[in-house]
Amino acid sequence: MSATIPREVQSTAAEGGRASTGPVRDGAIRESVLEINHFSVDYGAGENMVRAVSDVTLRLERSRVLGIAGESGSGKSTLVYAMTRLLRSPGLISGGEVILHVTDEGGAVTPVNLVTATESELRRVRWSHVSIVLQSALSALNPVLRIGREFDEVLKTHRPNLTKAQRRARAEELLRMVGLSGDRLERFPHELSGGQRQRVMIAVALALDPELVVMDEPTTALDVVTQREIIGELSTLRAQFGFAMIFITHDLSLLVELADEIAVMYAGSIVERAGARELYESPRHPYTLGLLNSFPPLHGERRELTGIPGTPPDLADPPTGCSFAPRCAFAMERCVLEKPTLVEVDDTGRSVACWLFDDASGSRVPVELSRVAPRAEAPKGGS
Amino acid sequence: MRTIARRLGLYLLTAWVAVTANFILPRLMPGNPVQTLIGKITSQVTPAEIRAIRLSFGMGFKEGIVAQYFTYLGQLFHGNLGVSITLGAPVSSILRESVPWTIGLIGVSTIVSFFVGTVAGAMLGWTRGSRFDSLIPTATFFQAIPYFFLGTVMLLIFGSDLHWFPVLGAYSQGATPGWNWSFIASVIRYGELPVISIILSSVAGWMLGMRNMMITMIGEDFVLMAVAKGLPRRKVIMHAARNAVLPSIANLSLAIGLVVSGALLVELVFNYPGVGDLLLQAVLNEDYPLIQGIFLVITFTVLAANLLADVVYLVLDPRTRSEAAV
Repeated sequence: MSATIPREVQSTAAEGGRASTGPVRDGAIRESVLEINHFSVDYGAGENMVRAVSDVTLRLERSRVLGIAGESGSGKSTLVYAMTRLLRSPGLISGGEVILHVTDEGGAVTPVNLVTATESELRRVRWSHVSIVLQSALSALNPVLRIGREFDEVLKTHRPNLTKAQRRARAEELLRMVGLSGDRLERFPHELSGGQRQRVMIAVALALDPELVVMDEPTTALDVVTQREIIGELSTLRAQFGFAMIFITHDLSLLVELADEIAVMYAGSIVERAGARELYESPRHPYTLGLLNSFPPLHGERRELTGIPGTPPDLADPPTGCSFAPRCAFAMERCVLEKPTLVEVDDTGRSVACWLFDDASGSRVPVELSRVAPRAEAPKGGS
Repeated sequence: MRTIARRLGLYLLTAWVAVTANFILPRLMPGNPVQTLIGKITSQVTPAEIRAIRLSFGMGFKEGIVAQYFTYLGQLFHGNLGVSITLGAPVSSILRESVPWTIGLIGVSTIVSFFVGTVAGAMLGWTRGSRFDSLIPTATFFQAIPYFFLGTVMLLIFGSDLHWFPVLGAYSQGATPGWNWSFIASVIRYGELPVISIILSSVAGWMLGMRNMMITMIGEDFVLMAVAKGLPRRKVIMHAARNAVLPSIANLSLAIGLVVSGALLVELVFNYPGVGDLLLQAVLNEDYPLIQGIFLVITFTVLAANLLADVVYLVLDPRTRSEAAV
């Protein structure tokens, strides 16, 4: 557990204090809240080693939503658990750095490399600056403790100055924010419905007003109606508090509603990264296209659901070239031999890891993957 | 509260069944205590003496079995358990002499063993795979040795040979029984070796059970959440331990129920004046009133321990409080 998570690999020198401004978007320079650089995670070591996350580089700006999509086993959960240093043995961080830009009460921003942070540094950052919501709220809430304790212990640990009454008032306020009445604090987890439990988790996650909230499939275990309600509430809360969010799901259509940017993961690597609308309207990577065709769209005309043939590769014995090549309808000879890297393909900041978009391949981009991207619209965020 | 009341009713019913069985069983056995006692008297027995013996057992009256049963219940209610055949004293006063010794010795050992084992098990579970894991085979070894052997060997080595601990009995001959310091000190001194031997032989069970539950709990999401919340390590461990201890609590109630009856070997080895020793004497002498009295005490201890465990469980695990459901 926390004490035993080994820090096997020291990152390549945390470049502390470096200016962290991103590319110009929406006509404004936005500060980063999180930068992941060349981040890799392995399970096991030696012969049995499996690289679950390989060389992932991501950036998340303040108050924005990054969606991470991919099917089961694509490494999306491993990525966020490893990045928050919550990964359990035998998972090991084998390279890279994760810089969280922590804003203290005075407003000063300090970068903290989570990969090299000590236990006490991590404890200081956790929940105050980055909180997490898990898929199953039932198992994430301690079954023998009242809901009130979930809030109380967080506030007691990180805000020792608060009195008991103040903590209680804050907990009630947080519950009201997610549409639950204060008397739920007296309840035990098993006395609440699935939707109520997940709302409690979201309220607990916001208790300390963190800069970043990580959501690992928070709505997957819920029915569709509750799912929609919670997504709606998340948007409202985000507009109100302005926290940045990483939202993991396998449901791309859900991400399109919620996210500003989407990264699609396949076999431990990011294969496409683009603005949510661009990615949805005009997928560039064949895998993204396959994912989009696997879900019915929430709005718009019906289309045939095709799914993706084949199964994800065995990560213990990954293919030499592109890991999607065996399932790809557009695979070329080069795809089997060489592994493509993530490169920018247009001026919207979109990156794709696919040889189809490399001029040296001498290939024509198939028509399905060359739909015209709509121009970037007004920023979403809390609509 | 309704749950507790319902359980209480159930226990009262069980107690009644036990008391009734205690009445019926001796009457189903061949022979009767009066004949046993007469057989022990070597001199000539006159009919008047037989009548006196029968009267002293409450058997002199030609009552039907139903009337006898109600007389028995009435006597029981007033704490009258009859008169011991071999010791000639009321069973209730004999039990008052020996029960505290057993509860003191075995009760204390069981509780200490539970706490030591549970805390050690929680730590072992938390640090699983570390060098502390070597404690497990050591503890299991002591549990695997038959108790009478372990007890005897310890008595021989630490008592007779090394003279670290006094041997035989519950207190030194020089001390006057009562609430005086020298007597209490002597009781503690004489209790040390039996207590240590019992803990040695039973701690592995608590330790292993708690360790395995801890390892299961550590894999749970709420423990991961406790880490993610940045709680101090102590609190994270408590999150896991609070849930891991529940099965151990259930086992503790069983163990406490066995405190009175399970003491036989310990008391024999250490010549301790408790219930186990008394039961052995009673059975050897076919002392029915005494046997019945001891069985009643054992039954009520088990029932009381179970009730206690139920209440503790209700407090610790909200999921068992059915009436609280929304």
